[in-house]
Amino acid sequence: MNRFKLFQIAILFGCSALFAQNKELLYDYTEIPQALLLNPGMQTSFSWYAGIPLTSGIYGQGATSGITVHSIFANDGLDINDKVRNRALDGMNQRDEFGTTIQLDLFNGGYRSNKNPQIFYSFGVYFESNTILYWPQDLAYLAFDGNADQLGRKFDLGHLKTKGEGLTVFHFGINKEIDRNLTLGVRGKIYSGIYDFNSSKNDGYFVTTEGENNLLANTMVADLELRTSGLEEIRRVLDDESNGSVSNIITKRALLGGDLGLGVDLGFSYHLNDRTIVTGSILDLGFIYHTGDVLGYTLQGTATTEGVEVILPDAFSDPTADFWQDLVDEIEALIPFEENTNSYLTFRPTQLYGSIRYNFGEPVDGEVDCDCGVGESSADNRFQYRNAVGGQLHMINRPRGPQAALTAFYLRRVGNFLSLKTTYTVDKFSFSNLGVGINVQAGPVNFYALANNILGYSNLANSQYASFQIGLNILSWGTN
Amino acid sequence: MKKIYALSIALFMGLCSCVEEQNFDQFDDLNITPTLEASILYVESPEEVINDAPGAVWYIQTFNFDAFSEAFFADNVLDGVITYELENTTSKELGIIFEFLDDSGTVLDTENFRIDPAPTAVLRREIAYGNATGRSLDIIRNTSAIRVSASNFGDNTSVSSLPDPMIIFRSSGKFRLRLK
Repeated sequence: MNRFKLFQIAILFGCSALFAQNKELLYDYTEIPQALLLNPGMQTSFSWYAGIPLTSGIYGQGATSGITVHSIFANDGLDINDKVRNRALDGMNQRDEFGTTIQLDLFNGGYRSNKNPQIFYSFGVYFESNTILYWPQDLAYLAFDGNADQLGRKFDLGHLKTKGEGLTVFHFGINKEIDRNLTLGVRGKIYSGIYDFNSSKNDGYFVTTEGENNLLANTMVADLELRTSGLEEIRRVLDDESNGSVSNIITKRALLGGDLGLGVDLGFSYHLNDRTIVTGSILDLGFIYHTGDVLGYTLQGTATTEGVEVILPDAFSDPTADFWQDLVDEIEALIPFEENTNSYLTFRPTQLYGSIRYNFGEPVDGEVDCDCGVGESSADNRFQYRNAVGGQLHMINRPRGPQAALTAFYLRRVGNFLSLKTTYTVDKFSFSNLGVGINVQAGPVNFYALANNILGYSNLANSQYASFQIGLNILSWGTN
Repeated sequence: MKKIYALSIALFMGLCSCVEEQNFDQFDDLNITPTLEASILYVESPEEVINDAPGAVWYIQTFNFDAFSEAFFADNVLDGVITYELENTTSKELGIIFEFLDDSGTVLDTENFRIDPAPTAVLRREIAYGNATGRSLDIIRNTSAIRVSASNFGDNTSVSSLPDPMIIFRSSGKFRLRLK
């Protein structure tokens, strides 16, 4: 297995944090404990909860802002070459992207302090991976069309942008009700990077022009870099260059034996009045320092070639000269392809959530607002209304700049055992993203299922965005 | 409870995804065949070099040239064109022989040029390989060296009145490759 194949596998199975990652259905869904991961300052009324290991939070997402599988592979009788030409090459640009996200709760739990019932602790470990690949427009044109008959056209090497990572996150959060209106939260995180690759700061171009001496001149100005961590050791095992097993390598790196980093989440919830609440959170303010199993590749320099050049009588001075090899050596010296093992720092894709919610309708089960704090008489500092509407904002820092999404939602509660949330989200991937979520509380058993862009589920192959999240918890409400 | 069942079923039905039939076999029909072009060889010689040479063949040189025989190129080349250009500003009629050689030095293909003394037009010639009317693509695939021979069909004393008189040989290749 060569490095390129390994790189491809990393992309295909890459994880989630870099992609859109908007979990608009889960955000501020206060009945679901995992919503604390999106806002550590969310209002909570749990006494304690324990996620079922490996099933308390399973999240997957795929998105493309350009073409879909259906765009190219629909059984429509059209020539695939025409479809690729019209829909991919001519239909996409360097801002279009493909991405996947996976998040899996390994375990997750939380409990309310006995000494101070206003404080709720939550903790756990989850695995996360994400990959993003921007459409390398000019490189795609170069691959499909070549450089012939395109004098002066600069193929932008900066169109090559990709990033991916896989990591485990160990986290511990504190959620505190400051007063009847305000709840604050903070979550500390330790990142254990399993693998990482990124090539997102590329620059340069390739151009063909009329030559000064010969017919053509090919010029490359390159500042390309690919940094990887955690992949070389796996490659060596797969290529039988070293002993060990891939699973052992991944396990070791997942359990704090890989690249380490620190991060923090902050959040709040604030009641403007009895029925209106605003929330906000900022997630993954942090970094990972990649020091183990690091391998970087660079291609940097400038070179112009007009082929083998023989200038007489100068060339007579060395009749045995190998002009071809000299040319190759000269280009390799001007644009050297080099490897390094330099450690590097990556910042987490910081996310920002905000929302405003208006509750209305009858209180669930006819509860009465006791005007008391958590733990004083009940875990519910404020009763739940049957209905809620509101809007949410999500932003994430991406390699090509921040990316935003706006969501409108409606939440309906049916007794204490069922609630439904629907969302409508607008972002760069879709203007028709309708989401549906259900949360069921059957005694102490909590089950939830959330799915985005449900219209796209009628033909997943033609959907530009799909995500789902399911989970199973055991939880208790009220005071300990 | 009926409501719960109804809602659950509705949600389940809603989430039941469908995938319209896709034909992934189409991928086999996808053609990625870029056409690449670059210069090959440039030779220039001032008239004084030609005058200084004792015989008619004033220059002969074999160049190692592995670009065509590189596996990536040789395995994927579909067809192409080599363009030659000669510019003679000397006072002499000159000849250039351009030969493709394989590893053992065997001549695979030859291109002869004869160009009048200055003032003369630029001589340009395009030779196709690999298509229906072109020469065999195996010539290109097996080429590992190029030999250039230059002959003087004039005298060894005259000098052109043009500034900086010289013979210039230019060449480039434009080839279509199959990447997929």
